[in-house]
Amino acid sequence: MTALAILIALGPLSGSAAAIAGARARLAGVAQAAGALITFGCSLALLVLLEGRAPLAGWDGFLYVDPLGGFFLMTVAGVTLLAALGSIGYVTAQEDSGELSSFQVRLYFTFFGLFASLMLAALETGNLGLLFVLIEASTLASAALVGLEGRARSLEAAWKYIIISSLGVTIALAGTLFLFYSGSALHLGSNLGLTWPYLLVHARALAPQSLRLAFLLAVVGYGTKVGLAPMHTWLPDAHAEAPSPASAMLSAALLNTGMYAIIRFLAIAHGRLGTTYPRAVLLSFGFASIVIGALFMVRRGNFKRLFAYSSVEHMGIIAVALGFGGILGLYGALLQTLNHALAKAVLFLSSGDVSLRYRTKEASEVTGLLVAVPVTGGALLLATFAVLGSPPFGLFLSELTIVRAGFAYGSPVFPLLLLALLGLAFVAFARTTAGMVTGSPPAQLASPYRSRAAVAVTAAPLVLGLAVLLLLGLWIPAGLDAVLRHSIGAIG
Amino acid sequence: MESLSATSASGVLLDLSGVLILLLAFACLASKLFNRYVVYYGAQSAVLSFAAATAAVAFHSAELWILAALTLAVKGIAIPVAARRLLVTRLALKRDAAMSTGLSTSLIAGGALTAFAYLVTRPALLPHGTVAAAVVPLSTAVILLGSLSMVVRRHTVAQLIGWLVVENGVFLGAITLVATFPFIVEAGIFLDIVAGVLIMVVFVSGLTRQLAEASAAELRELRG
Repeated sequence: MTALAILIALGPLSGSAAAIAGARARLAGVAQAAGALITFGCSLALLVLLEGRAPLAGWDGFLYVDPLGGFFLMTVAGVTLLAALGSIGYVTAQEDSGELSSFQVRLYFTFFGLFASLMLAALETGNLGLLFVLIEASTLASAALVGLEGRARSLEAAWKYIIISSLGVTIALAGTLFLFYSGSALHLGSNLGLTWPYLLVHARALAPQSLRLAFLLAVVGYGTKVGLAPMHTWLPDAHAEAPSPASAMLSAALLNTGMYAIIRFLAIAHGRLGTTYPRAVLLSFGFASIVIGALFMVRRGNFKRLFAYSSVEHMGIIAVALGFGGILGLYGALLQTLNHALAKAVLFLSSGDVSLRYRTKEASEVTGLLVAVPVTGGALLLATFAVLGSPPFGLFLSELTIVRAGFAYGSPVFPLLLLALLGLAFVAFARTTAGMVTGSPPAQLASPYRSRAAVAVTAAPLVLGLAVLLLLGLWIPAGLDAVLRHSIGAIG
Repeated sequence: MESLSATSASGVLLDLSGVLILLLAFACLASKLFNRYVVYYGAQSAVLSFAAATAAVAFHSAELWILAALTLAVKGIAIPVAARRLLVTRLALKRDAAMSTGLSTSLIAGGALTAFAYLVTRPALLPHGTVAAAVVPLSTAVILLGSLSMVVRRHTVAQLIGWLVVENGVFLGAITLVATFPFIVEAGIFLDIVAGVLIMVVFVSGLTRQLAEASAAELRELRG
């Protein structure tokens, strides 16, 4: 199992290796996708192996994978696979049209692989210090992706991203310190003492006052990476300026990695502080994010910014679900994580195809997608419905679970507020995307791809992602259900 | 890990270093010349390295000795020298006038944040009489001051230095609070900082080239 865990983290580096060796976009992209496929396969195998066994632990707690970690690994690995498939067509087209130099292409794949690999490694460690190190390193790798195009706008977005996220993650490190300090009574001398499974078991011995501060700092700090309002300001810029497959990685993988860190702190906080305090913190940040996300979606403009604000909204929903707690709330939160990751990956990848064909990111300049590019237009339309929580897609199920959790938890005010905000988000989001897919397309649209294979490989992740989303809306496989239930046990 | 008492010799030295680090954070906040930021940051890191060495003596920890040496070499010397050469000399940056508040306002805000840091961390959180009770409020104040200078300063270089000051504040807290971070984690944090500074310097140079003046005040294309 250890070998599997190592393979998961190293898989995406295949693209980096190919790029460093000097491969062009197509070859590097295929290498990237092959590595991502291996990673995804290994993460599924690991999840199956973990079923009914003790968590994978080793190296003094530096390596630790339980069902919760395995679930996030599978999610991130799946998104990496979709984004790597999307990269082949997108980056090759950009290279062919001369928008990206061959140096930029090599930079792209080097940092894409590094970024994915660091996130996966962050999900595999039990040591809270190393978690910080890896998440900060993944920030740096992804900042290079955001600023890749080198224009003033993308550099500005990358600067905002790197400076805000680095500050945020540093605050999370301060939170980690206070967590260790709250464990003074435990004499945390060994490396094992600084791992979250140890702290979770010994949560009762932690000092509540510094634990409270630690939890708050961790939510603010890692919440910056998650994009919880009011720390979300980097998010729309970075998502809009990064190359589209990288935006998919940011929205569907990076945000989840940050949320995973918060969940680990939440589990420890639950063990000592009960549910009242963590609930207050998570509901505050969660609702703030949903409100901000929904309000900014009303504005029509850059469609990638629209998708980014929808990510803010969804991260808020997940935070609220974690705040509601209970079996329903946590189940809903995890299911929502997976569904949102799939839907948002499809949305950003189709936005990449749209911006290549229409040469714009302004929603008002895009019309007639369904006629001009049926596959991408259809994917965009279906993913829109999916991300807004319409049946029969997975997000309907997870959002329904979360609302039910809200009613079960007591005051009906919160779930009703959530429903109202979801309604607002629906109208705001669908208004823009409906305009994009309907109508008649502009007169001449040249295909940016040189071969039929490139067109097919661009469509593949869209179809794949939507198929899984639809499946998850109709039926939750028994294996996934078991994994989710075990994960909930780890959060408490 | 036993806590150091505040009245022991190393306790007093750590306390003193903490005060100096706080003063240097104030100096960074109040300064208006780019080369001064870099000098103050270097001096702050040197004091931090001294604090780490003090803790190393007190805790008999070889890892803390390595940490002290690394801090001096990387943060005290390498980053300031490189930042000076790459940013201040090559980009010919001199006066930084781009502040969103007046100097006196930001200093008063800094004082208020320091008081706030004491208010939050002092009373119930930390046992009295330990060195941690004396130093942790200082380190919290340094974190807040670094964040403040990132907020009020609009220039990218100033924001970069502000982040590094925050990082120093966290380290000061780490030395007194925990003193037992595994070495691999400490090394990783150092690697992150170095890589972060490198990438940020690339962005600063790129932005400076693009905008002629790398003032984040000019960065207002992306909104809403």
